[in-house]
Amino acid sequence: MATVSGLNIYTPRFLTKPAKEAPKAKPMIRLNNPWGRTHRFGNRRMQLRQVRAAPEGLSDKVEQSIKNAEEACAGDPASGECVAAWDEVEELSAAASHERDRKKGSDPLENYCKDNPETDECRTYDN
Amino acid sequence: MAATVCTVYTAQSLNSACSISTPSKTHLGFTQRDVVLFSSSGKKTNRRCSKSVITCAGETVVIGLAADSGCGKSTFMRRLTSVFGGAAEPPKGGNPDSNTLISDTTTVICLDDYHSLDRTGRKEKGVTALDPRANDFDLMYEQVKAIKDGIAVEKPIYNHVTGLLDPPELIKPPKILVIEGLHPMFDERVRKLLDFSIYLDISNEVKFAWKIQRDMAERGHSLESIKASIEARKPDFDAYIDPQKQYADAVIEVLPTQLIPDDNEGKILRVKLIMKEGVQFFSPVYLFDEGSTISWIPCGRKLTCSYPGIKFYYEPDTYYGHEVSVLEMDGQFDRLDELIYVESHLSNISTKFYGEVTQQMLKHADFPGSNNGTGLFQTIVGLKIRDLFEQVVASKVKTPVEATKA
Repeated sequence: MATVSGLNIYTPRFLTKPAKEAPKAKPMIRLNNPWGRTHRFGNRRMQLRQVRAAPEGLSDKVEQSIKNAEEACAGDPASGECVAAWDEVEELSAAASHERDRKKGSDPLENYCKDNPETDECRTYDN
Repeated sequence: MAATVCTVYTAQSLNSACSISTPSKTHLGFTQRDVVLFSSSGKKTNRRCSKSVITCAGETVVIGLAADSGCGKSTFMRRLTSVFGGAAEPPKGGNPDSNTLISDTTTVICLDDYHSLDRTGRKEKGVTALDPRANDFDLMYEQVKAIKDGIAVEKPIYNHVTGLLDPPELIKPPKILVIEGLHPMFDERVRKLLDFSIYLDISNEVKFAWKIQRDMAERGHSLESIKASIEARKPDFDAYIDPQKQYADAVIEVLPTQLIPDDNEGKILRVKLIMKEGVQFFSPVYLFDEGSTISWIPCGRKLTCSYPGIKFYYEPDTYYGHEVSVLEMDGQFDRLDELIYVESHLSNISTKFYGEVTQQMLKHADFPGSNNGTGLFQTIVGLKIRDLFEQVVASKVKTPVEATKA
């Protein structure tokens, strides 16, 4: 149990290692919180994961599609034109969000550490 | 004995890639490029083929995942493929805007690829992507059926960035095929191909909160635009997407918490896992005593939880006329020991070792929902599907042996 409580949530492979480096303090392992509170972690690697806007092209498209939808709905909010325009907003917003997620995973240090969690540059410390 | 002809692909999963060739039948979009033909005149090949005839046909297990856009399908897919082992990646060297994910065992295809109308087409006709008229169910059925039968297909690619249909990509039959999107259970023919189906049912309050979370940072978006988009799509969503949940073998329902009176923040979630009874190779998860009704608060002397705590509920029920078991979790995990404690009290979760659910949740602690019922139930459903897959394979291996005995 001591081993388990001392593990760092980002490197679960440390489970198999002795807990000599584990902090003695009561672990406050926070499982993820979907509301983007991750920046409160005192973990230096987390700070690389900041929300970035989607690439310019998609961001522009999202913005433009919202304008178009507002125009399309000015006349008849129940028209097929209006509904299809808002559907396009949803599609582009989802695409922009996926793109952001994809970018997040493209951090070279993150990728390296996924394969080499035991190396010095990939060690993380809880406070 | 008639000479049997097996088609063998160069794919990584040789087992699932055999099939009896049907040269007279031409399916739309099938590839010939990677097909190698083996004539079974020699004894060696013959033995391989006779086995193939029985075990290969339909060896691909097909899973359907339905949910609206922005309701956590991608996260669920990442959890699912992780449980099966190996990371799922986009096809190497292919279209960078491909929607497909491939791992050693699993291929995930996005049903948006079967849009019959591209973005401009939908705009002209005034229909949404939710509308069946914007989707080609004939092609969807033919291609999913072909893959299930062990035949590779050339699947179109819907490009979400450009809104156009790109040139197709080759999809080889995997061990497990997941079809995810808006309509996996809409068409009866496609539905019948599914070995297991899941519906992610996100309540309106939570959907709104999630989309705010997703979109507010995006230029041009405001609370009004997010609300307008949800409301404009709602009639089509209610007509074409929501009714699919009656066919699902498992439904994950996401609701606001009941632990905090009048909570309107939407941060704490109450999540229900609704599991159909009597589904082949799937036995529902239960709490303490199968078939009883149990309300359980794990926090107390043995386990300390922080506000607002954790509450579980388990009961037999009916859902759209089907017998179901419902497991519900309200609240969130703040610490690791809470998760382990809960896992150790659940039964029938199809883990291979003690703590596997916890390990999976920790492995992906950065995914949304890893501290609440969405992550917990997604992980458990992943384990149940792995179990189902193993049972399907075992049952198919057994069949020819039993046949020779008889």
